[in-house]
Amino acid sequence: MIPETQGPLTETVFYVLLALHAPLHGYGVMQFVDEISGGRVNLGAGTLYGALNTLVEKGWIEPVEGDTGDRKKEYVITDAGRRSVGVELNRLEELLRNGNRIARKGQQ
Amino acid sequence: MSTRTVHKLYWDFEKEERWLNEMAARGLNLVRYRWGTYTLEQGTPGEWTYRIELLPEVARHPDSVKYLDFMADAGVETIATYLRWVYFRKRAAEGPFELYSDTDSRIAHYTRVMTMYGALTAALTASTASGLHSVTSNGLNFFSAPLFAVQIAILVAFATYTLRVALRVRSLKTQKQLFE
Repeated sequence: MIPETQGPLTETVFYVLLALHAPLHGYGVMQFVDEISGGRVNLGAGTLYGALNTLVEKGWIEPVEGDTGDRKKEYVITDAGRRSVGVELNRLEELLRNGNRIARKGQQ
Repeated sequence: MSTRTVHKLYWDFEKEERWLNEMAARGLNLVRYRWGTYTLEQGTPGEWTYRIELLPEVARHPDSVKYLDFMADAGVETIATYLRWVYFRKRAAEGPFELYSDTDSRIAHYTRVMTMYGALTAALTASTASGLHSVTSNGLNFFSAPLFAVQIAILVAFATYTLRVALRVRSLKTQKQLFE
């Protein structure tokens, strides 16, 4: 069976989708991504804002309903979003497998 | 707190941003901007990082308001708005403050800046051309000569800047063939 394909996700989209496996607001996403990337990825606020809107339009994330008394909008990943992350992980695994096999031949 | 006002005109928003951050590094923090007048307030050196952005819509537009609310939630303060321009600042202690962290959004922003200055350049070219026409028929006089010279100087500056931003967009697009 040919695996399900999609274009490569951008680093921003991939990390935002990972961050939203639990509900977070924009600033929370920035902090989460900064933390799990060991400070390598600092999401720009403008870039993040654009990514959140695009992901909502695509149906990969959704705003969390219900008033928590906090005016900050929280988002969470949807099933469609989880599927995209799964497809991307398969692609990344393929890259890693082939990269290790060819470029790191004999180094392991 | 002591404040001082500085009158300056920039068309290159990145130079302007650099100047604001140099001032902030010395503790002179922008608190107000209006028509080329910067109000700087004496505070703690290095407390703030400033960023300038050109929005797709004017600052009062609902889409812009939503964006500015989002920024506020992320700890980013809006100091001033001017047509589609926004002046932001964030506390340096809260980490590096960048508006854009990927090539696509940088390209989108530079393209907005390029389009705006391109339109201004075109409008100025039209008005300079009609000015040239009146100069050739009426001749230059004490009043019209300096005005005409200033207009040509601004036209050259805007055209040069538009071209520089266009080259920047092109180099970012080339870079995208290799890196995200």
